[in-house]
Amino acid sequence: MKNQSSNMKRIGLGIAALVLLGFPLIASTRYQVHIVNMAGLYILMSLGINLAMGYCGQINLALGAFMAMGAYTAALLNTRMGVPIWINMPLGMILAGITGALIALPMLKVKSHYLALVTIGLAETINIIIVNETWFTEGPLGISGIKMPELFGIPIDGAERFYYLVLICVVVGYLAARQIMNHHTGRAFIAIRDSDVAARAMGINVAKYQIMANAICGVYCGVAGVLYAHMTTYISPDIFEFKTALFVLTMTMIGGMGSLAGSVVGGLALPLTLEYFRAFKSWQLVGFGLAIMLVVLFFPGGVIGIARRLEQVRGLRLPWARKPEKPAQTEASHVP
Amino acid sequence: MFLEIEHLTMRFGGVVAVNDVSMSIQRGEIHGLIGPNGSGKTTIFNVVSGYYKATGGKVSLEGKPVTGLAAHQITALGFARTFQNLRLFTSMTVLDNVRVAMGQHARAGVWGEILNTRAVQREEKHFTDRALELLRLLNIAEYAHERATNLPYGHQRRVEIARALATDPKIVLLDEPAAGLNEVETTQLRETLLKIRDSGITIFLVEHDMKLVMGVCEQITVLDYGKKIAEGPSAQVSRDPVVIEAYLGKEEDL
Repeated sequence: MKNQSSNMKRIGLGIAALVLLGFPLIASTRYQVHIVNMAGLYILMSLGINLAMGYCGQINLALGAFMAMGAYTAALLNTRMGVPIWINMPLGMILAGITGALIALPMLKVKSHYLALVTIGLAETINIIIVNETWFTEGPLGISGIKMPELFGIPIDGAERFYYLVLICVVVGYLAARQIMNHHTGRAFIAIRDSDVAARAMGINVAKYQIMANAICGVYCGVAGVLYAHMTTYISPDIFEFKTALFVLTMTMIGGMGSLAGSVVGGLALPLTLEYFRAFKSWQLVGFGLAIMLVVLFFPGGVIGIARRLEQVRGLRLPWARKPEKPAQTEASHVP
Repeated sequence: MFLEIEHLTMRFGGVVAVNDVSMSIQRGEIHGLIGPNGSGKTTIFNVVSGYYKATGGKVSLEGKPVTGLAAHQITALGFARTFQNLRLFTSMTVLDNVRVAMGQHARAGVWGEILNTRAVQREEKHFTDRALELLRLLNIAEYAHERATNLPYGHQRRVEIARALATDPKIVLLDEPAAGLNEVETTQLRETLLKIRDSGITIFLVEHDMKLVMGVCEQITVLDYGKKIAEGPSAQVSRDPVVIEAYLGKEEDL
């Protein structure tokens, strides 16, 4: 029985891997691939906000600003000095991570909805700087002519090839987030969310981990920003406005706050669904607002929350469900 | 002196919750802190563990000043505590509740964790083994993978104690560990307290269950209205007329 289910899981993973690897070949248009690439970037940002907000309980609506740090780092270095993505990526990650850490500083003083306001304010400030300092950022015109990357002389041009770069980043990002959550740092995040008073009493340096959570969130958004700049070859400030943060927040809540799989589900589902409703573009924000309200009211755990509930009720095992760690009973039962 | 509390005062606006209390605790003893409700016991715990900043006076452990440090630094010095109204990490398993308290010994850092290096794996195994050991000490190892808040109340109290011990303390501050426990559980708690003491950890105990307090404490300090009214070996304190008066009231002349 056990073997069977683990075999099923292996087969499932194999099929998933094949679909993921072969997607650009089965996609009927380049545009479809582009949309999925965008979804990949959203998944990265969603993983970031999930670590900071879903696990560590830190509301952060400055995601657009973090992404802008990555994107502008890449765009400016590439267009002015011809620096390739492979160098822009770590630099963008570092700068976006520092921005995340800096934004966390006022967060240590304020909580909940005040915190949300502070992060919106900071994000807007960064946006206004980008719009107004035209000598440096080209302002509202944006920066064009960013080169697509090249690897060992092979150009990674076109959505199909770029897809694999995005895929690698998403897989690495997901695995890294999982490792963080499986170790002390992740446990400290959850402890702080559950009870910061008890966390302090257990020797957890709450401020340090809050800053770390936001810095990591910044890094994830920075990766998305660098990829975005090199993928679209053109960036302008409007992409990094508040609505981006709201979009990512919505997809994370729909997928499931506090679940990494939720980020993947939400990050894929929302952008793809929206493609079908392109005609209603101006109603998008209203839609997000409604979606968040419905999720908060009826499905606090998002899609993954519903899946987990089903799992408990019906004993279903879902492919992404975490295997419980080796039970300790064997030894423990000997103790009187 | 092991733990030294000198002229500790804690004011909340006009209310003096703790008024010029001095006391000391010897290494390796179980020291009780008793007094009627609202006499300032938990406030003393909250000051000692860094949750409140004292209005006056000072606290030191092994001669090192504690007052003014942040709560997590105080824990690093060797203090651990439980809470009167449980404060478990509600969404974590019992095992993780205990493992997370061992974090001050985590040397790996987030990069090591992402790469899951050998050192991190070893550390993680050590955390798990030690946590299970503590859970066995408190007879709750079989619940290691249950969500902590799904456990019965008495077991949740034990998780709190295991979690406090996981910080590797020199002294544990237990805030009413017997509250809500039945007779059998209280007897088990008593054995646990003695086991903890015998392992070399000093215990500072706030408790209303007098039978338990008199049974395990070597020394007792009595508070009333934020002031220390008595101190000494438990047998002596229980006969002290001032203490009896604080608990039962004064006999009035008719």
